Amino acid sequence: MPKVLIHATGLKKHYQLTKTNAVHALRGVNIDVFEGDFSAIIGPSGCGKSTLLHILGLLDTPDEGQYTLDGIDVMKMKEREANVIRAKKLGFIFQGFNLIPTLTAKENVMQAGKYGGMNLKQRKARAEELLELMNLHDRMDHKPNELSGGQQQRVAIARALVNKPAIILADEPTGELDSATSLEIIELLKKLNRENNQTFLMVTHNMEVANACKKTIQLKDGLNA
Amino acid sequence: MMEILRNMLRRKGRTILTVTGITVGIFAFTVMGSMALRFNKMISGGKLYVTGQITLMPKGTSFTTGSGGALLPLDVLQRIEKVEGVAAVAGGVELALEEPDPDNPFGGASFGPPPTIEGMDLQSSYKNRNWQTLNMKAGRMIEKGDSDNTVAVGYTIAADNKLNVGDTFTIRKRDFKVVGIVDQTLTGPDQYVFMPITAARELLIASNPFLKSLKDRADEAGKITDADLAKLSAETRKQLLEARAFKLSDVSQLAAASWKDGQDPDVVSNRIKEQFKDDVLVLSPTKLGETIDKASAIFNAIILGSAVIALVVGGFSIINTMVMSISERKREIGIKKALGASNRSIAFDYTLEAGVIGIVGGIIGLGIGTLTIVIINSKTAASGAEIFLLSPVFMVGVVAFSFVLGIIAGLLPALRASRMNVVDAIREL
Repeated sequence: MPKVLIHATGLKKHYQLTKTNAVHALRGVNIDVFEGDFSAIIGPSGCGKSTLLHILGLLDTPDEGQYTLDGIDVMKMKEREANVIRAKKLGFIFQGFNLIPTLTAKENVMQAGKYGGMNLKQRKARAEELLELMNLHDRMDHKPNELSGGQQQRVAIARALVNKPAIILADEPTGELDSATSLEIIELLKKLNRENNQTFLMVTHNMEVANACKKTIQLKDGLNA
Repeated sequence: MMEILRNMLRRKGRTILTVTGITVGIFAFTVMGSMALRFNKMISGGKLYVTGQITLMPKGTSFTTGSGGALLPLDVLQRIEKVEGVAAVAGGVELALEEPDPDNPFGGASFGPPPTIEGMDLQSSYKNRNWQTLNMKAGRMIEKGDSDNTVAVGYTIAADNKLNVGDTFTIRKRDFKVVGIVDQTLTGPDQYVFMPITAARELLIASNPFLKSLKDRADEAGKITDADLAKLSAETRKQLLEARAFKLSDVSQLAAASWKDGQDPDVVSNRIKEQFKDDVLVLSPTKLGETIDKASAIFNAIILGSAVIALVVGGFSIINTMVMSISERKREIGIKKALGASNRSIAFDYTLEAGVIGIVGGIIGLGIGTLTIVIINSKTAASGAEIFLLSPVFMVGVVAFSFVLGIIAGLLPALRASRMNVVDAIREL
């Protein structure tokens, strides 16, 4: 039985848009993610996929529910502690264009290492190692606007891997890529899952991506479908 | 650090404008501040001097507007010397180095005291308690036994008139031998010609029609022998005797008294005041010191106030720029937070960026300000006192201050950035 990384039950979240108009994004979602999982959260737009990912990524807090991440009860955590957990245990890949434009590919990757507590030498070595792995050795000193969409997303994957996170959360990782490049990125993620036992949880409404996943968690109207 | 510079270069135009704002502020601060430093140096020298003596003036005159022709007779000074606690009293004469130009009676505008002749009573044992001696750049100070045609000159006087020790210096058509040049003090003495009091009195009398007529009459009356005098009518004899009573030594426009060791100068001042209230105005060191402080405080407030306004404007331009650039970089902040950046590290990055904008503007402003000061000083040095005093400590302070200004201006926007809600920031992705 593989280790449980994420165990969340009864997650609720609403957004008060105006005094009388509230959106109930999550109405009591349960989710479990095990080590080595390659899972996708799927569902129509507005079903609460992104909200769930934000809560699991400690970027947002639920109104109600229980959540343990890698054995730690993160519900009562202070923001400062959450920052540390985010840096060390979680990796993020967002939908396109999420690199810092003033930094080179290598510096973007190194920055995550800084937040994870590595020293300059370690960060440099780790960034170079990962960009090699991403087949970007000749693109290390390029700025994001000098890279193609697929290359940018590979830099983002390298950045997510820097601190050897327990789990990588990806929000529409192929959302802004053409289908050939999408496939390439998915293959890369699968390879990392297969060879390094890296756990992935992604949000997508792309069925090709969902089909590539070992598990899917379906949401509908803020509930498990 | 590289990231900060690259962020600054990302919006070159805006960064240039912001830096220019700070540059203007720091420029004003450098120039005004150097002027205040120079002024304060001058004032503090003057204050040291006046607080080292009890200043005595003839009744009917004012310290600020000068003597109205009133004089302190020698007899009064000698009696004051006997007051309990007084160590010594010396009369003095002060007059402009050059006779006023009839076509331009106000003279040129100048910063600080105009070139002045200081008549010194070399016979007196009086010494200012704070200012005993002046350092000499060359030669020596005039002293007891020097001829009346001997002078020592202040640093600026020597520079302006290209004087060296041994040179002849013509003052009001009379030739004097320069025996010494006083080292730069950055205050009053730089513009002084130190002259034996007899010579100074003679020059003063020559320039004052009233005193001149008194002296001429005394000289005429002096020519009449006592034997001839006895032959004249009682009325005429009385007039001639009165005319003879005018003595050069009675011509003192002001005087200074020193006090004995262990005496409180204010108490001694009051004693003189009570005994001689019909003859002299007594200005105690404390009172005169306070008056000077008040005047310099007002001057400082005006010049520093104007510089601070310029800086506040510069500070606001940093705040504005940082608010703009942070709202443009909202997404970036979201990413950094998602990667685990702490609030503190985000606040630190942006505050430092504002600090760098501040210091860049500060260095440029200081550079332009220093250049301006050096150019103006080199021009005014030829025609009188330098207006600015550039102090290395002040310059380092200006750069440090510009950095701190940037930090303070950046703090609020940076804190706002650090407290940004991650989900809101991420949604902009």
